[in-house]
Amino acid sequence: MKEFFRKKLEITRPYFEKGGKFEKFRSTYDAFSTFMFVPGHTTNSGTHIKDGIDLKRSMMTVIIALFPALLFGMWNVGLQHFRAVGIEATFMQQFSYGIMQVLPIIIVSYAVGLGIEFIFAQLRGHSVNEGYLVTGMLIPLILPPTIPLWMVAVGSAFSVIIGKEVFGGTGMNVLNPALTARAFLFFAYPVSMSGDIWIAGKPDAYSGATILADIASATPSHYSTWDIFLGTIPGSIGETSTLACLIGAIILGVTGIGSWKIMVSVFAGGFLMGTLMNLMPGGNAFMQYPAWEHLIIGGFAFGAIFMATDPVSASQTEKGKVIYGLLIGILTIMIRAWNPAYPEGMMLSILLMNVFAPFIDHYVVEANKKRRLSRAKTY
Amino acid sequence: MQSIISIFVKSVFVDNMIFAYFLGMCTFIAISKEVKAAFSLGVAVIVALTVTVPLNWIFYHYFLAEGALAWTGIEALATIDLSFLGLLTYISIIAAFIQLLEMIVEKYYPSLYNTLGIFLPLLAVNCAILAGSLFMVGRPYNLAEATAYGAGSGVGWFLAITSLAALREKIKYSNVPAPLRGVGITFILIGLMAFGYLSFIGFTI
Repeated sequence: MKEFFRKKLEITRPYFEKGGKFEKFRSTYDAFSTFMFVPGHTTNSGTHIKDGIDLKRSMMTVIIALFPALLFGMWNVGLQHFRAVGIEATFMQQFSYGIMQVLPIIIVSYAVGLGIEFIFAQLRGHSVNEGYLVTGMLIPLILPPTIPLWMVAVGSAFSVIIGKEVFGGTGMNVLNPALTARAFLFFAYPVSMSGDIWIAGKPDAYSGATILADIASATPSHYSTWDIFLGTIPGSIGETSTLACLIGAIILGVTGIGSWKIMVSVFAGGFLMGTLMNLMPGGNAFMQYPAWEHLIIGGFAFGAIFMATDPVSASQTEKGKVIYGLLIGILTIMIRAWNPAYPEGMMLSILLMNVFAPFIDHYVVEANKKRRLSRAKTY
Repeated sequence: MQSIISIFVKSVFVDNMIFAYFLGMCTFIAISKEVKAAFSLGVAVIVALTVTVPLNWIFYHYFLAEGALAWTGIEALATIDLSFLGLLTYISIIAAFIQLLEMIVEKYYPSLYNTLGIFLPLLAVNCAILAGSLFMVGRPYNLAEATAYGAGSGVGWFLAITSLAALREKIKYSNVPAPLRGVGITFILIGLMAFGYLSFIGFTI
């Protein structure tokens, strides 16, 4: 099978080379051949660091890190559904129901996003990058399971075109593309993005409120802290389980694909702000909510681990990463407590800090320059 | 004290001159190509707003508002309402102050003066600075609150322009489609930045 593909690719290669018949489709050809086989091109100038890592490899690592959250999310969608309708179901039934709900969303997200990416690559003559493999997986995971498929398509299209391609494609965008899609949908179609939408195929009488909504309306939650940590609660598809996110965090941290500095500082920032609010006298339900529990509800863990660490839109300098992470954590808790307009602050605080990341970097670099200049002696 | 802090924070983030009102866009786009210039212009706007808003507050409350001239003790003046002269007064006060600022900058920071070029005198007609005074008049602020409001609006504008400049320095290396280069991509960028600033809409402190 492998040999067959390789042969086919080799035979058709001349058509796609410069001057060939299908020269225009060069980037499509490239995308497929490098997707299946190790790219054959080498650098031809200067010395380079020798490392097996490239964009494809790092993107695949992120996908692997996302798998626990994805599988758990699929099962949880089924679990919540059967719990809501009140039918006992086996693990396999729950899981297969979840797959039936989640798979179409993933397929639509990939089909639309990659389709647009291929068109842009053809028209502009750059190669198809793998960035969308991750974005296309992240978008379904941060959407509610009841989202209409056409909205997934519109959101993906917006994030690929406006969020990424107008800046020149992967690695050149300024905001996290997956969060751009979510923010766009959140503000364009608020009815489908907030409220009672977190359980697929739910009878009307059953309350499917998230933990965050429970706190906001001062309803005593019937989920234990352990449930919240494991993630057997209603919420966006992939974000409910802090445990699954932590497994992903270990994979990202050990391989060095995601910056552990950012992850740790987001959690630290959230905890710090939560503790400060606990100490303040009075205040609303969110301010009195235990600081450490803030870190496991809503999308906090998922955002800290998979969204804030996006290497393109995050801070690039080491000191900047810590500041960036701390501010995301602090801001998230502030939005939860003081902004009743939004149930969750993670999405918007990451987007805001994406905007400020180059600004932070600039001043970290300036400070470095100043420090090193002060060390230099002038005679 | 509480209201002053809350007014300051609100005017920096929630009522941001750029992302909530879209004011002062011309300089915002023109001077945001590099952080250094954007930083100095931002500081100039902070200074201008912090000084002109309270100045205009004094003028409004002691000369222009209805019954404001009562302090003169002349009966005929006590009922006069000069608020129709508001726009004219504010713009002249702003222009005079900017002229002063320009002289100071030219004398002490000649390199900065050259970088900012025409945009320093043009601050006199910057919508964000005029809007600071106009909004202030419409709201029931006292002098301290008006100062906090002016300073806050300035800081908000400063944050917006420096972060935009840093972003534009970053996307210098991006492969932006030719027709969008320059102002086009900047507009898209500002739109995306507004997404981030949406996190503050509805903040209650």
